[in-house]
Amino acid sequence: MDAELIERAQGGDREAFGQLVSRHYDFVHATAWRWSGSSTDADDIAQEVCVKLGAAIRSFRGASRFRTWLYTLTLNAARDHRRKLAREEQTFRAYAAEPQPDAPAGNDDELSSELWAAVRALPERQCDAVLLVYGEGLSHSAAADVMGCSEATVSWQVHEARKRLKAVLGKEEV
Amino acid sequence: MTVDKELEKLSRLTPPAATPEARARALAAAMQAFDTAENNAPAAQGNAKGWRQSSIINWIWSPAMNKKFLAGSALATLLVIPAAGYLAIELTRNGLPIVDQTEIAGNLSKSEASKQPAATAGQPVAVAPQIPTGNDSLAEQSVGVAQALQDKEAPDLAKSDASQTSEFDANAALTNKPEGSAAALGAAKRSVPAAPGGAPQQQLAEPMAAIAPSPAPPAEGRVQMQLDPNRERFANAAANPIKSVATDPVSTFSADVDSASYAFVRRSLTGGAMPDPLSVRVEEMINYFPYDWPGPDNADQPFKATVTVMPTPWNHDTELMHVAIKGYDIAPATTPHANLVFLIDVSGSMDEQDKLPLLKSAFRLLVNRLKPDDTVSIVTYAGNAGTVLQPTRVAEKSKILSAIDRLEPGGSTGGAEGIEAAYDLAKQGFVKDGVNRVMLATDGDFNVGPSSDEDLKRIIEERRKDGIFLTVLGFGRGNLNDSLMQTLAQNGNGSAAYIDTLAEAQKTLVEEAGSTLFPIASDVKFQVEFNPERIAEYRLIGYETRALNREDFNNDRVDAGDIGSGHSVTAIYEITPKGSPAVMNDDLRYGAADKAPAAAADSAHHGELAFVKMRYKKPGEDKSALITTPVDDNNAVATLDVAPQDVRFSVAVAAFGQKLSHVAAVDTYSYQAIADLAAASRGTDAFGYRSDFLGLVRLADGLSQR
Repeated sequence: MDAELIERAQGGDREAFGQLVSRHYDFVHATAWRWSGSSTDADDIAQEVCVKLGAAIRSFRGASRFRTWLYTLTLNAARDHRRKLAREEQTFRAYAAEPQPDAPAGNDDELSSELWAAVRALPERQCDAVLLVYGEGLSHSAAADVMGCSEATVSWQVHEARKRLKAVLGKEEV
Repeated sequence: MTVDKELEKLSRLTPPAATPEARARALAAAMQAFDTAENNAPAAQGNAKGWRQSSIINWIWSPAMNKKFLAGSALATLLVIPAAGYLAIELTRNGLPIVDQTEIAGNLSKSEASKQPAATAGQPVAVAPQIPTGNDSLAEQSVGVAQALQDKEAPDLAKSDASQTSEFDANAALTNKPEGSAAALGAAKRSVPAAPGGAPQQQLAEPMAAIAPSPAPPAEGRVQMQLDPNRERFANAAANPIKSVATDPVSTFSADVDSASYAFVRRSLTGGAMPDPLSVRVEEMINYFPYDWPGPDNADQPFKATVTVMPTPWNHDTELMHVAIKGYDIAPATTPHANLVFLIDVSGSMDEQDKLPLLKSAFRLLVNRLKPDDTVSIVTYAGNAGTVLQPTRVAEKSKILSAIDRLEPGGSTGGAEGIEAAYDLAKQGFVKDGVNRVMLATDGDFNVGPSSDEDLKRIIEERRKDGIFLTVLGFGRGNLNDSLMQTLAQNGNGSAAYIDTLAEAQKTLVEEAGSTLFPIASDVKFQVEFNPERIAEYRLIGYETRALNREDFNNDRVDAGDIGSGHSVTAIYEITPKGSPAVMNDDLRYGAADKAPAAAADSAHHGELAFVKMRYKKPGEDKSALITTPVDDNNAVATLDVAPQDVRFSVAVAAFGQKLSHVAAVDTYSYQAIADLAAASRGTDAFGYRSDFLGLVRLADGLSQR
């Protein structure tokens, strides 16, 4: 299904591209939300990804899975967005209200905000690895495809992240 | 594992559904991007022709930059670098001592004109004929070779090795004008490697070393200057050498009434350290003290010279010729109106107890001394110059005093700008036939802005023509730029004083306000001609930085020192009578024939020892007047004890100054002897200056034994 739509879109079929984007919008938005932690940021990131998709669909070679490619695009967009926010925050720290992260969804109140804060505070690569592996439930090798590194590296990043989280969360438990 | 459990929760997280609006927006943006990409797609990339697009400039430039062609210039650069390095080292080693720049300029042209390098060094002329192997023609020949080589082969310079140059440094120490220009040094040095065999040069150096009056060559002083952690800069030159009357019968110098050096020496000694020999200017120490020389009777002849010849306390075989000049003292009733501009350095460095607060007290003392009709204005400089007080009559004293009180330190120093502003104010309030003077108070550098010593000197020289005088008052220590103070004061028709205590401020600004403020004669020059019949050699004590060329004496355009109301100037020569065992220079082998007729012509002045001439300009006049005084046996006294009390005291000061500046002649004369001489001639000493001096001598005695 995807493959056919992609082929037609690459051929210049607007309708096929429209369908492709609307099929995957929710996935992109969800991923963006997971990485940014705020639905307004997720809206912005998702739109950014859609624009990139429009510009770059013709150069998609299909060597990797479309999903993986979307992950990569989304992760990059989320990272750019976070950097932009950091810059703006520096500039407007005095009077700009910080974007309020959404309260964790009601049906999952067990999820502590500390965990979120701790995961987001991880170094970028470790954060990506943890979210891909635990959040998205990808295998280490799939996560490696998305992150553009080897499987062993992903495993190592996850290991490092767990060590770090253990230290942070453990301290809070005591 | 808690972490694992926690992390599992991440997967159970349900992302919130995207809002339909955001979704629609994103889809529209995506479609637009898709369309834009489509429009751009047909644009072909690359170049069908098969070569890269580049401009015609690249076509021409690329082959020109071919490595082959660059090798030559790169090689040339490699050759230039060591040569430049050598040149730089030579220049630093022979670095110009800090001296009055006008003198440098004068010597430059002079020494270039005289082709014989020996002639640039006064002393070597006297000894050259005695050299066994080097006769005159040989010397001239070698000079000719040197000149030719110098014109042709600059690289040869590089070959003269260190030993040869250091040999020349010894020669340099002997030159009577150590400020001798770099050009002169360079020319003479080039002749060293060129001299046939090099041996005559070696021998030339030895006899000259033997007569060196001072073991401290300028090079040593320079090293001390570089090591000085205080960053204080002093203007001085090596002590005057002994000169032979036969070859150099005339001694010319400019008046110096500054007293900065004494105050600096005092500060150093009371602080427990021997003063830097460079900071000692003997003439300033002598002139620090008030002497009761007989003065002129009226203002028509502004000063009078009194000459005393007496035995030298530190050498049995020589005599001292003591020339004392007293300026006419303007009676307080006739003092002209004063227009004073205080130019005050309020940079951050002035924020010390002995700087700005002392300065404020000093200026308060001065303002209290002024007459109601005088005007005062205040300019400060720190970062940017500002006028604190517009010209204000002293009648409104409280206004002036409160302006002084309000001065606060802060900022960096921008002296050039401040000097401009101060001179502008002085011009604005110019008093005709009165005293127009800028009083500059600083702790050292004028360190911001276009302010090399040269530039400042130029500014001040320009303003001097307007009839505005300059007094430089130095404060504090650690950063004092004595050489700049000297340069400014000497070129701005003014004087320099160093103020370390309120007592010193009282002396400079209140007791001697007349002489500090009211000049009676400007461009005062002295010339002493010795009679070769009677005197074999002479040595001027002090005045190293004030030496003038012989021809400058009659040249009214050459600037010289100024003398204020009631100032006294004292110059002391150590003279060696003919036939004395202390004569250092042998008779000239070929000089006798020339001298016979000269002596005959002089027969009218037979018994004279010397002839003292003074030139001065009255304030505001361009033409100088001449005063002459012959010196004969009537001026002589048999023993030192018979000499007037003030003369004896000034001799003690001269001996002390020379000891501090490490002049070899007084090596055997002890501090104790100086103290005895000074104690015996202390006199009434109304202000206690002389007792103060005695204390310093004892301090120096103690410190030197450590």
